[in-house]
Amino acid sequence: MSTKMVVKKQTGSKNRPMRIYKRFHWTQRIEHAVLLITFSMLAITGLPQKFSTSGWAQALIGFLGGIETTRLIHHIFAIVIMLLAVYHIFDVGYQIFVRRTPLNMLPGIQDIKDAWQAFIYNLGFSKKRPQMGRFTFEEKAEYWALIWGIVIMGITGFMMWNPITTARLLPGEIIPASKAAHGGEALLAVMAIVVWHMYGVHLKRFNKAMFTGKQTEDEMLHEHPLELADIKAGITDRSLDPKTLRRRKTVYYPIAGVLAGAMLFGIYGFIGGEKTAITTVLPISNPIPIYVPQTPTPIPTSETSTILAGSLSWDASIGAIFQSRCSLCHGAKLATNGLSFATYADAMHGANDGPVIIPGDAANSKLMVIQSAGGHPGQLNAGELTAIENWINAGALEK
Amino acid sequence: MRRIKNNHRLKFVILVFGLGLVIFAVGGLVSPVGASSVPVPVQNPVLAQNISPDNTACLTCHSQPGLTKTLPSGEILSLTIDSSHFSESAHKDIACTDCHTDIGSFPHPDLKAQTIRDFSMQMYPICQKCHQDQFNKTLDSVHMKAVEAGNTNAAICTDCHNPHSQPVITDSSGALLPAARLSIPEICARCHSAIYNAYIQSVHGAALTQQGNTDVPTCIDCHGVHNIADPTTTAFRLQSPLLCAKCHTNPAIMDKYGISTQVLNTYVADFHGTTVTLFEKQSPDQPTNKPVCFDCHGVHDIKRVDDPVYGLQMKQNLLLVCQRCHPSANLNFPDAWMSHYIPSPTHDSIVYFVNLFYKFFIPAVIGSMGIYVISDIVRRLINRRKGVNHA
Repeated sequence: MSTKMVVKKQTGSKNRPMRIYKRFHWTQRIEHAVLLITFSMLAITGLPQKFSTSGWAQALIGFLGGIETTRLIHHIFAIVIMLLAVYHIFDVGYQIFVRRTPLNMLPGIQDIKDAWQAFIYNLGFSKKRPQMGRFTFEEKAEYWALIWGIVIMGITGFMMWNPITTARLLPGEIIPASKAAHGGEALLAVMAIVVWHMYGVHLKRFNKAMFTGKQTEDEMLHEHPLELADIKAGITDRSLDPKTLRRRKTVYYPIAGVLAGAMLFGIYGFIGGEKTAITTVLPISNPIPIYVPQTPTPIPTSETSTILAGSLSWDASIGAIFQSRCSLCHGAKLATNGLSFATYADAMHGANDGPVIIPGDAANSKLMVIQSAGGHPGQLNAGELTAIENWINAGALEK
Repeated sequence: MRRIKNNHRLKFVILVFGLGLVIFAVGGLVSPVGASSVPVPVQNPVLAQNISPDNTACLTCHSQPGLTKTLPSGEILSLTIDSSHFSESAHKDIACTDCHTDIGSFPHPDLKAQTIRDFSMQMYPICQKCHQDQFNKTLDSVHMKAVEAGNTNAAICTDCHNPHSQPVITDSSGALLPAARLSIPEICARCHSAIYNAYIQSVHGAALTQQGNTDVPTCIDCHGVHNIADPTTTAFRLQSPLLCAKCHTNPAIMDKYGISTQVLNTYVADFHGTTVTLFEKQSPDQPTNKPVCFDCHGVHDIKRVDDPVYGLQMKQNLLLVCQRCHPSANLNFPDAWMSHYIPSPTHDSIVYFVNLFYKFFIPAVIGSMGIYVISDIVRRLINRRKGVNHA
């Protein structure tokens, strides 16, 4: 991570050749670009989930293809950021153990002093700004905030992604607590990016170093004067002899490889470690058959006629059948078609168009013909019909 | 002049008299024709008091018990109308022939129906003559879709509303009378008796049938009345939380029973509810396996949460419910769901304190950053004006 001086004859602001200093290695710039995209995508897919009841969030979720797709995208970029974290650990390890770069990103008391100095300078209580080295207190604050954020998001994300496993080890309540922390931390991270990062490297002065990898001497003088002094004094040159480098690498790579493998396995467990829920739509519990009709109420039938076999005469039984079943339409008050069954004589007289009962010949009696066909209003039931048939065949007697 | 005037008066009297005669004659000519085909009404003292004369003629025969017709299928169709029920029914002032339009004369034309069900199927469209709105609603119902698919068991108007005995069930404003609410489940039970048996044992059904409590939902409060939707669709499932919420977010009902009205909020705030809500809004026909109210609380057999046997307040019971979707969940797992509670120092305190932490932590961090940034902006502006290098 050492800064190399690159002298280039460029025209500077004061018409003098300007020295260009290399600030970031190309791998670091790619790392930043991946983080930039990943962080943005996580925010775009995550925040609408946190605020899912509001209109803008629902519009965004709809735009992303629905909540399931939004979650899927969020999970994919969660995997990307985890892989990025593993790479970063591997890379930092390389800087520390192989290149033996000074741990100039570590925060210290000096950073607090610098921050305070910068603040009182801004307020006008001090005439001089703090002189800072390779990483300013602003940069360190941002870096460690990011580390803090990734750790919190990773742990709480794991708990939400693997609630069954989490509940085996911890009380279940930790899962909604994780969700609360994940959301709170997300909001903090996005707001910090907007306030701190946007101002610090875009608004204050558009700092292109993370994209070009280079800074001018003016910029170095302004932002990292102590580092510039070190470069000029030649104490940052940490070129190693190839032999030492090779020896350190042969130790570092296997160890880091095993560790990275373990971490990748951890990520695999994170992603696919548990089968949280069934994937099908839950069937209705305790399903009840839908169509189970009640037994219909029986149709009320007429009072059963009591027909005694030995008393087949008008007076004994037959007259009563006619009285109860026919006399409404064929009775004394209303003799439809001239037919009345009010008395034996009326019955034998028949209708306007002739008699309906032929004694001794039920088969040809019109009464039987009509009633046997069925469908006559006041239809006689089978028992009644049989009784009348027998009565006619027996001579249709009155007594 | 007087004579003439008298003459006019005389002419007028003759004219009126003559006209009367003509009307009388025509009436006399017409009425015997009618009399030959329609039986002359017989005064029935029981019937005549309550029922309009039109129907007396019909009820003379049709109030007789045992009046039946054997249909070609062999089924016996009862033709008896209980006149005491009819005279108290909503239709008491409707003439029989308003619905039975083809039975104006005697002997009656033959029924075209092969079965009793056939006869009902032929008759029910007549209801739309007066009940157009309700009839149109039924056209979209699950019952009518089943009828169209050939299922003649599916309910038609007359299965729920016996036209000869249907009492008035609404007040003047059209609201359902409390007594009518009490009888609704019994009507649905005619075809859905198994569901009815489950319902009457549920917290809602027991309150309705045992205590006469009309705060609780009857069948129609969830399923609708005439436009009863298919409850097995995804759309119905996704909408169902709002259905429950209709009563369960209403303090006027819930406060009486000490039930929280935060049940919808807390559900929607949770992973399951968020998903279901968004599906309902954005893809109402796309299924999701995230649970809705009835997946945990039951469909028709909904129990109190403090039910001594089935209550979800008992963690073991809740676990069984969780395990239907999360088969490998252990006894800690149900606590991942906050049971419709809003986190507080006494309930779900970890969640409460996490929220509390961020409530102060976010403003503290962002506020400090903001103060520094503003101080920096101001200093830069001052320096620029003074022409001093910001270094």
